[in-house]
Amino acid sequence: MSKTPLKLSALIVGMALALSGCAASGEQASGKLQSLGDNEATLSLLGWPGYAEDGSNDPAYDWVTPFEKETGCQVTFKSYGTSDEALNLFKSGDYDVIAASGDATLRLIASGDVQPLNTDLIPSYADVYPFLKGQAWNTVDGETYGVPHGYGANLLMYNTEVVKPAPTSWDVVFDKASAYKGKVTAYDSPIYIADAALYLMKHNPDLGITNPYALDADQLAAAVDLLKAQKENVGEYWSDYLKSIDSFSTGNSVVGTTWQVIKNFMPEGSTVEAILPSEGATGWSDSWMVSSTTKSPNCAYAWLNYIDTPEANAAATEYFGEAPATPGACEFGSEGFCDSYHAGDEAYAAQIWYWTTPIAKCLDGRTDATCTDYSEWTTAWQEIKG
Amino acid sequence: MSDGPVSVTLKGSDISAPKSFAHRVSSRLYASAKLRLRLLVSAPLLWLALVYVAALLALFVTAFWTMDSFTGEIRPDWNLDNFIQLFTNSLYQTVTLRTLGIALMVTVVDILIALPIAFFMAKVASPRMRGILVISILMPLWASYLVKAYAWRSVLSNEGILQWLLRPLGLDTPGYSLVGAALTLGYIWLPYVILPIYTGLEKVPQNILEASSDLGAKTWSTLRLIVFPMLLPAIAAGSIFAFSLTMGDYITINIVGGATQMLGNLVYTNVGIANNLPMAAAIAMIPIAIMFIYLSVIRKTGALDNL
Amino acid sequence: MKETDSEVGILLENTPAISLRGLTKSFGSVHAVSNLDLDIASGEFFSMLGPSGSGKTTVLRMIAGFELPTAGTVVLDGTDVTKLAPFDRDVNTVFQDYALFGHMTVLENVAYGLRVRGIAKATRSKQAEEALEMVRLGGFGGRKPAELSGGQRQRVALARAIVVKPKVLLLDEPLGALDLKLREQMQIELKQLQRELAITFVFVTHDQEEALTLSDRIAVFNSGHIEQIGSPRELYEQPKTNFVAGFVGTTNIFDEDASALLFGKRIRSTMRPERIPVFEQPTQGARQGRVIEAIYLGSATRIHIKLDAGPTITALVRAGSDAEQQWHRDQVVQVDLDEKNLVKLETN
Repeated sequence: MSKTPLKLSALIVGMALALSGCAASGEQASGKLQSLGDNEATLSLLGWPGYAEDGSNDPAYDWVTPFEKETGCQVTFKSYGTSDEALNLFKSGDYDVIAASGDATLRLIASGDVQPLNTDLIPSYADVYPFLKGQAWNTVDGETYGVPHGYGANLLMYNTEVVKPAPTSWDVVFDKASAYKGKVTAYDSPIYIADAALYLMKHNPDLGITNPYALDADQLAAAVDLLKAQKENVGEYWSDYLKSIDSFSTGNSVVGTTWQVIKNFMPEGSTVEAILPSEGATGWSDSWMVSSTTKSPNCAYAWLNYIDTPEANAAATEYFGEAPATPGACEFGSEGFCDSYHAGDEAYAAQIWYWTTPIAKCLDGRTDATCTDYSEWTTAWQEIKG
Repeated sequence: MSDGPVSVTLKGSDISAPKSFAHRVSSRLYASAKLRLRLLVSAPLLWLALVYVAALLALFVTAFWTMDSFTGEIRPDWNLDNFIQLFTNSLYQTVTLRTLGIALMVTVVDILIALPIAFFMAKVASPRMRGILVISILMPLWASYLVKAYAWRSVLSNEGILQWLLRPLGLDTPGYSLVGAALTLGYIWLPYVILPIYTGLEKVPQNILEASSDLGAKTWSTLRLIVFPMLLPAIAAGSIFAFSLTMGDYITINIVGGATQMLGNLVYTNVGIANNLPMAAAIAMIPIAIMFIYLSVIRKTGALDNL
Repeated sequence: MKETDSEVGILLENTPAISLRGLTKSFGSVHAVSNLDLDIASGEFFSMLGPSGSGKTTVLRMIAGFELPTAGTVVLDGTDVTKLAPFDRDVNTVFQDYALFGHMTVLENVAYGLRVRGIAKATRSKQAEEALEMVRLGGFGGRKPAELSGGQRQRVALARAIVVKPKVLLLDEPLGALDLKLREQMQIELKQLQRELAITFVFVTHDQEEALTLSDRIAVFNSGHIEQIGSPRELYEQPKTNFVAGFVGTTNIFDEDASALLFGKRIRSTMRPERIPVFEQPTQGARQGRVIEAIYLGSATRIHIKLDAGPTITALVRAGSDAEQQWHRDQVVQVDLDEKNLVKLETN
């Protein structure tokens, strides 16, 4: 298979998606690997920090070395800090495989940087939680582009001493936030607009929001207004989870959005609680994807299979602090690992709106409206922060 | 052929033969001071041109391009959209004014703190004490910027030392806010302001101060009429550090600034999140323009001539 | 010390311009000045002469107020100023390296003392211009100190100090940085200036010739104390100590043994070279010796002679005197060591 037609077809797919918003299914089949051959010598990975540990940070955490021994693929790993940095790095063409969150995956698919996967060649994929498969952030037009790594929800954390009665709704950070003026915290990223959209979806049905990642201009404006009002009460925004742990433990923040791992790492004796509010929550579900120009497709498939095997998946997701993608992982994690991240709890997972890149083609299926894309969300986010 | 011409040829080569190429280059260089100087400075100049001038130009040019918001590709089609945004969207004016305000505040506060400290070090302290002070002022420079910012995060927090100190006075910590950020930035850049002023003061001869006092000037007059004007270049140098470093900050404001943002954050957001390099380049032009004006003003006062 | 005091007392019937009593300055364990008493009369041109490190500059700095004494008092015109800051003392200083304010023009430099006294700009500019005229620098007011020569800077420093009309002007080796010709010219100007202003000058120098040229009285400093105070003539003709005799002019110093040998007295003594006549022919009462070195100085010839009796002496033969001739090495000569020219020195 020569490189050029692959790249070209991916590009055409991307352009087709961008321009018309619809691509004929089946056309991409030509890009899929049909069978596995011998493993190549090397494999280059790109992912969130802690997604591929080889023991060099802490000898206790090493799931890369066993993979190398098993497959003969020498792994190099590069970590990134934001989804956008990941996109820029991946576009360099130096990486065979990327672990991407839902706010990056569609952009990778659209730009043709990743190839569709033949899941038949990935045995461990069969055991992955069904509710993680075939989702908007990893599947386009029936083609699977990524295998799940793990997932988690953006929870509502509050200080039980200050926030009374115990909240059950996100209203404590929106409509009722003024009660905690200066001590509300929020996630510092344009994608946080979806949290406001989710709240409006439940509390302001007239706006007609059905998917917090599919907002037309009016809906975005409503979300922006809500967030501008919220800003008056925000003490600080966080993007570094250690910073969030710090503000909750000193009392500088008493209520706001959080990750499970933050709750888990709060110091002994902290009076905080993290809940999944009645509206549900936004969250992330990360996928491993293969570069459309990779020279090591066999090693890439081997890695995708390996990372969803129970032992490796348990090690990787527990290290990062998220729910595993495969039920078998719960056997290998430490005591209470799966419970604390609500792994496999389908009802819990159903309440999570996973991060998805907002694009002009409305993700909720509307065809009579143009949705706001990520760059508009970014501009809006800057204005919200003032 | 007769012997004559042959012997002449031999003679000619006899003279020129010992002069190697290197020898001739050396002779040429010895003779021309101008050529020597040109060769000497050409490498650094080339470096300067590439790294500074070319980078700035590239930045400027990029600011006129646009980014395809869907694919993230940068398209070099010339337009003024980014600059129109800068001038029409109140966001950029607000953030520019805020950044300028913080930078000026940090600069003024740093100079006010640095002057007495530097004066004490240079003119009052014993040599031993001076050594200790210089080291203790340099010491924080060896610590990471982030460590210092996070240390201030703890100082400014609700349970921090500042709150503990201020509570008996009926005051509260400024917390994570503009004031908190200005305090932290002021602390971080303080050594950069103290050191040039200290060096400047050391260059003020003791007998100049004695002469002023001898002629009847009280301490304050001496400071105002003699020390301050002589120190102006050093103060200007210090202020350039504090001002420009604050203008470009985006990390400290994130750590201790609470929910506010500065120009650096807008640049960072456009590069790191929006992947909109052209817009980031356009925003980056704002602090560059401000620094340009600032330096021109300082140049007008003649302070740079003495540096 | 007692002697010095009485001598000072005689001179000063009115209130002295400067009166130092028991003045002591220690830097750590080093005594820069120890227990010094000194009175300087009003209108006097007084020099403090001594080698570097003898304490003369330290005394000057204590009078100016730049150093506080470890012990003792500084009284200016009857007022105890020991603890006062320099700006509260009615004295002004001309510094060795001028200490001009480089960021100000010459006129601003000169007007500075008036400016800090709150004198209006027009008035102070006029007075500063007059002071500049006085030091023959009229029209230089607009320049910066860096644009002036050493001698001109010296004049600016002078003008700056005298414009505020102090009662006492302190000069700390003011001519040290100038070349010989300029120095001699400035010496004359300084003397004239002092006469015109009729104020007390206290002049610190290590140059004995300069001190002799300028001063009404000179104090010779050595290791933090005063060896002798007197007029230039007294110091030259009647040095009291070995140190003064050696430091002021050149001289022959005879220890007890040499004096006993040559004059039959067991004392320390000195005789100036120009007071020793040299003859070629044997002369009554003269001693014979051999020339070691004869140095032609233009206005005189200095001859080093090894006496047959043992000691080596120096004699100075003035040009134009009877004895002027070509002296040369190894020449046998006669010298007349007349006891009336012998000065007895104190044994410490």
